Amino acid sequence: MTRQVSRVAIVAAIVRKDVREFSRDTLYLVLSAVGLVMFVGLFYLVPDTVEESLTVGIQQTGMDELVSAYQAGAETDEALDVVPVDTAEHLRAAVAGDLEVYRTASGETVLVGPGAAAQAPEGSTTVTVDIGIAFPVDFVALTTAGQQPTVTVYTDADVPSEVQDAMTSVVREIAYTLSGRPLPVTEATVVLGTDRTGDQASMRDRLRPMLAFFVLMIETFALSSLIANEILNRTVTAVLLTPARVGDFLAAKTIYGTLLTGGQALLLLAAIGALTATSWGPLLVTVLLGALMFTGIGMITGSAGKDFIGTLFLTMLLVLPLLVPTFSVLFPGTAAGWVMAMPSYPVIDALDQVTSDGAGWSEIGPGLLGALVWVVVIYVAGVLVLKRKAETL
Amino acid sequence: MTGPAISVRDLRFSYGDLEAVKGISFDVQPGEILGFLGPNGAGKSTTIKVLTGQLKPSGGGATVLGTDVGVDDPAMQARIGVCFEEKNLYPNMSATENLEFFASLYGIKDPDALGVLRRVGLADRAKDRVKTFSKGMRQRMMISRAFINSPDVLFLDEPTDGLDPVTSAAIRTTIEEEAARGVAVLLTTHDMFEADQLADRIAFINNGEIVALDTADNLKLTYGTRSVKVRLREGDGVREEVLPLDGASSARLAELAASPDLLTIHTEEATLEQIFIQLTGRGLAG
Repeated sequence: MTRQVSRVAIVAAIVRKDVREFSRDTLYLVLSAVGLVMFVGLFYLVPDTVEESLTVGIQQTGMDELVSAYQAGAETDEALDVVPVDTAEHLRAAVAGDLEVYRTASGETVLVGPGAAAQAPEGSTTVTVDIGIAFPVDFVALTTAGQQPTVTVYTDADVPSEVQDAMTSVVREIAYTLSGRPLPVTEATVVLGTDRTGDQASMRDRLRPMLAFFVLMIETFALSSLIANEILNRTVTAVLLTPARVGDFLAAKTIYGTLLTGGQALLLLAAIGALTATSWGPLLVTVLLGALMFTGIGMITGSAGKDFIGTLFLTMLLVLPLLVPTFSVLFPGTAAGWVMAMPSYPVIDALDQVTSDGAGWSEIGPGLLGALVWVVVIYVAGVLVLKRKAETL
Repeated sequence: MTGPAISVRDLRFSYGDLEAVKGISFDVQPGEILGFLGPNGAGKSTTIKVLTGQLKPSGGGATVLGTDVGVDDPAMQARIGVCFEEKNLYPNMSATENLEFFASLYGIKDPDALGVLRRVGLADRAKDRVKTFSKGMRQRMMISRAFINSPDVLFLDEPTDGLDPVTSAAIRTTIEEEAARGVAVLLTTHDMFEADQLADRIAFINNGEIVALDTADNLKLTYGTRSVKVRLREGDGVREEVLPLDGASSARLAELAASPDLLTIHTEEATLEQIFIQLTGRGLAG
C-alpha cells in the first residue's frame, strides 16, 4: 500500500516531536524557565537612572572670583556642580574619599573626617567630589605675568578618561581667561551617531541586548542537546528509513531551533518592554538572524559531541566568545576592532541600537547585512556538518 | 506484485579497503522468511543496511519491491519496515507517542498504535515512557515500530538478540503472522535455533559470502549425516552407541534393539551450527 505524505507534513511531524521532547527534558525546561524569570527580574533590579552630573571641587583660597563665576554657571547647568574647598590637601582628601563633604542649606561646604557623619551640619546633603582642581594660590598673578603655574587635577578612579581629559582642557581655558587672552582655537563638537546628550541610555537599557543574547545562548544548549541525542541514540537513522529525507530533518531542526531560541528571546524582549509599535519589526528580524546563527552552532556542536559533557563543553567553547560583544554595549566606546569583527557583533549592535537608541531600519540596515553574511556562513556550516553526520551514521 | 520482493545479484559493499559483502545473490519471495545465519562481522547487518538504502552498494545490484536500492525512493521506503539491532527509540516519549510519530512520517492519519502494541504484548504500557522499559520491552517496541506502516517487506536485524525465551517466542510468533500476511521477511541472526524455527530458507553467510542457501531440511540432508543414538544399560552405568543411518549399520541396529539392556533409541540429524562449522571452519558465536 502506497500512501502520499507531503514534505510539509513530515517536517511538521518532526518539529512537533522535537517540541514534545523539549517539554519532557526537565533540565532544559527548568533552565529556560528560570533563565527567563531571572533575566526579567535582573533587568528590573538594575537602576534605570543615569549619572549625568559631574561634581568639581575647586580649591577656593585665592580663587574666590573664579569659584563664584563657575558656581553661577553651574546653577544653569544641571550636569555640572562646583564645590569650593579651602585647601589643596582637603581637596585631594575629598576626591580620594578620605574626607566627607557636606553642603549646608546656605550653600556652605563642610568637610568632616571619615565615619564622622554625626558631625555633619543638620539639614546638609552629602556631596561626592568626582574631580578636584587645585590652583596655586598665586595662580592669577603668575598667569598674568606670562608664567606657567602648575595646576593639579585630582580625579576619582571611576571618572572616565574622556572626562579627565576634558578637565585638562577646562584648566587651560581658565588659564587663558584669567590671563586676559582669548583661546587660540575655537572649539566645535560634532556628535557622531545618535546624540544622547541629556538622554543617555541607562544601565538597564544597555542590558537588553545582553539578556536577549543570554537567552539565545541557553536555548542553544537545549538545541545542541536534542540534536546530540538524536545522533547518539541513532533515532535519526530510524527517521531517515521512513519517507522522511535528510532535507526534511534539517528543515525541521532549523524551524525548531529558530523557534526555540528566537521565540524565547522575543518573549524576553517583550517582558522587558523592548517590543514597541516601532521596534518590533527591526527586532524581529534581528532576533531571527541571531536565532539562525545559534541554530547553526547548535547543529555543529550537537553533531560533533560524543556525549552530554562533550556536547556541553563544545557548545560553551563556541558560544561564550560570541558573548564578548555584549560587554561593548554595556560600556559604550570600548569595542576593539577584533570585537567588532566577531560574528555576533552586528546582531548585538543592532539589538542595542533598536532597544537603547530607538534606531530604525535605516540605521541598522547596513549592520544587519553584515550579520546576514555571518549567519549564512555559520548556518550553512551547521547544516553541512549535521547532514554529513546524519547520512554517515 | 509478482516476482521476488527482494532480489539481490552479486551485491558488494566495502568499508574502505575492507570488503564486507562479497558478491552475494539471493531472492526473497512475498510471504517468505529468509534467515541470514552467520557470526558477528559476517556481513549480515551490512547487507541489510545496503538493502534499506543506508549504504550505497559498491558493486552488483539489488531491488526491493522492484526499486533499485541505489535509488533514493521514499515511496519504496514507505513500504518497508526495519527493526535495528540497536534500540533507537525516543526514550522520553511514550510507546504510543513513538509509534504515532513514526506513523505520521508515513502519512498515516489514525494509526492503530494500541493494536500494534497489543500484538507485541505492550498494550498495558502504552502510555509509559520508553525509558522505563526493560531491554525485552524495548525490543518488542522495535518490532512494533517496524509493523506500524503495515510493510510489504520486513528487515529484522537480530530481533531476539539477548531476550528471554518467553519474549523471543512472542516475537517469533508475530514475525510468522506477518509472513502469513504475505510480507517478505529478511531476518539476520546468529541463533541457529531461531533460524531453524522461523526461516523458510536459510543463507549461511561468512566473511561477506553466502556459503550455502536452502531450506533447513535440505541443508541438513545435504551437509549433515543422519544417525541413531542407542543408549544401553551397562552395569551401574549407561553406554551410548551412535550408528550412521545407512545400510551397513542395519544388522547392528537390529541387534541392539533386541538387547534386554536397551534404554532408548533416538534418530539424530546434524544441527545447523554443525553444518556451519563444517562449511566455514568457524562457529556461529564468533
